[in-house]
Amino acid sequence: MFYQLPDMTENKLPDVIRELAFQNEEKGKRAAELIIVNKELVFQNEEKEKLLAELRIANKELAFQNNEKEKRAGELDIANKELAFQDDEKGKRAEELTIANKELVFQNNEKEKRAAELRIANKELAFQNNEKEKRAGELRIANIELAFQNDEKEKRAEELTIANKELAFQNDEKEKRAAELIIANYARSLIEASLDPLVTISAAGKILDVNEASIKVTGVPREKLIDTDFSNYFTEPTKAQEGYRRVFEKGFVADYPLTIKHKNGNLTDVLYNASVYKDDKGNVLGVFAAARDVTEQKWAKDLRIANKELAFQNEEKEKRAAELIIVNKELESFTYISSHDLQEPLRKIQIFSARLIDGELKNLSDKGKEYVLRMNDAASRMQTLIVDLLTYSRTTSTERKFETTDLNTIIESVKKDFAEIIAEKNAVITADEMCDAHIIHFQFRQLMLNLIGNSLKFSKPRIAPHIVIKSSIVKGSTVNNQHLLPEKDYCHITITDNGIGFEPQYKDHIFELFKRLHDKEKITGTGIGLTIVKRIVENHNGVIVATSELNKGATFDIYIPST
Amino acid sequence: MKNIFLAEDDADDRMFFEDALKKATIPTKLTLSNNGLELMSNLETLTQHPPPHVIFLDLNMPFKDGFQCLQEIRNTPKLKDIPVVILSTTANDMSVDKTYELGANYYICKPVTFQLLVKAIETVLTLEMRPQPLKEKYVLSIT
Repeated sequence: MFYQLPDMTENKLPDVIRELAFQNEEKGKRAAELIIVNKELVFQNEEKEKLLAELRIANKELAFQNNEKEKRAGELDIANKELAFQDDEKGKRAEELTIANKELVFQNNEKEKRAAELRIANKELAFQNNEKEKRAGELRIANIELAFQNDEKEKRAEELTIANKELAFQNDEKEKRAAELIIANYARSLIEASLDPLVTISAAGKILDVNEASIKVTGVPREKLIDTDFSNYFTEPTKAQEGYRRVFEKGFVADYPLTIKHKNGNLTDVLYNASVYKDDKGNVLGVFAAARDVTEQKWAKDLRIANKELAFQNEEKEKRAAELIIVNKELESFTYISSHDLQEPLRKIQIFSARLIDGELKNLSDKGKEYVLRMNDAASRMQTLIVDLLTYSRTTSTERKFETTDLNTIIESVKKDFAEIIAEKNAVITADEMCDAHIIHFQFRQLMLNLIGNSLKFSKPRIAPHIVIKSSIVKGSTVNNQHLLPEKDYCHITITDNGIGFEPQYKDHIFELFKRLHDKEKITGTGIGLTIVKRIVENHNGVIVATSELNKGATFDIYIPST
Repeated sequence: MKNIFLAEDDADDRMFFEDALKKATIPTKLTLSNNGLELMSNLETLTQHPPPHVIFLDLNMPFKDGFQCLQEIRNTPKLKDIPVVILSTTANDMSVDKTYELGANYYICKPVTFQLLVKAIETVLTLEMRPQPLKEKYVLSIT
């Protein structure tokens, strides 16, 4: 079909076609070549990739070998160190071996010396051996001699055995006798040791034998007692005779009362128990009589009676004490209640009289004025009296709580109560070295209040009161007072003033209830204050002593147990 | 004007108290009760405001004594905060302790002169009433 083309074209056309065909052919050739080249390149390419893969494998192999070599190098390094260490060790060991070698050489030497010594010793032993054999020979001779002697001794021993048996028999006999003696001795010792006077009496009433107690109770020695009349030694001889006669008749008596007479006159009440004693054939030989000292039993009986009496008295006293406690309590509450009830109307008298004085005095005559004033004065005295009585009844109350207290605090508080009068009188109160005391606080405060109050009250006119209070712990034995226990510790409190004091003969009176040493007009007071003080000291199991001379001040010494 | 209550069975004491109130410098309005029972009924019907400034209470009274009144006052919600001052003839430990235990604010012994009574009333009316419970339980002394 391709070749049919020129038929339809110009003349020139075949050339072009030829050219184009040629080119086409060329191009076909060229394409074939290119295909070949291409195939060649593809093949080369494949080859190269194979090679690359092989190279990669080779590479990995090399890397692995490298690692292995490094490991091996590490191991070699360790092995090297180990070898170096072993080397050192071997060096040390060599040194030790050198030393050991020297030691062995030394020991070797020593052993050689010893061998030499042993050789010498051996020789010595050989010599001794010889000697011993000689001695053995001698001993054999001696042995023969001894065997002969032995025979002789055996003969002698047989003779001795016979003699021994004889002695043993004699010994047995002696022991029997000794035992009999011991029993006899023992019986006698028992008799002698008895505290009861024992005696044997003949049918004629003569003493046959006595024990130590009989000698003691009569004061007569044994040899002088024996063979004398039994009845001689009693306060009632006929009764004694009657006694032993009854024994001979009946065979015994029991608890027969007699009184033994000592030669110095002492009497011992006894009870006799006696029986007859007989020989082997039953003949009565005499009377055995034992006396029991009943002095103590008698005393005991008396004591029992006395004890019962005392117990009874005690009971009575306890009943009485219980009654007294009740009565006391009743009295306390009576005092308390009556004081309270007395105060009620009194207060009104005071108020009414005071209101009279305040508002109505001008309307009264001079006499009326005086009466009202006196009434008011009396009422206020009664007020003080009631307050004091109330205080007194409180100090007798049974409620007592002891506590350890600083006396300074009490004194300070009392000073505050008296601040006004202290200032007014220029009083000085010194309290040094105050010790702690075991006290009932409110009572002791009352005590201080009353004593300091007294000192302030009984001061000398125009002289500033000076009160000195001291305290210390003292032993009872150091104080001259029979009411104090010598071994006990006491808190000693002293209160001294420079006031008017009192005459020495009043030193006990001043503590009595309602006792006044001074004129009521001059010095106010109810006469209860010091009674309260004394009561408080007694509540503390203590003692109070007052000392004074007129116009020379007063001192109050208080001693209360320190614990 | 301070509202005050007094429970007192003794006619003389009531008279003294009224006179003393008149003398006192502080103006007051007094409600008198002749015994404890009367006091409690007066307090029962209480409507006035403000509540009483203080109740003066005698201890020894018929029908209902001061202790009983005090206890009731302290146990009644609307009365429990009213200050109570005990006014007694004597101050014994038992009474003082008991009244403070029951919640009294002060304890005073009845003064023995009229002037002192005036002073006592004035003192109480000017006192700052202490909050309960009280620490210091003492008898107020009027001098």
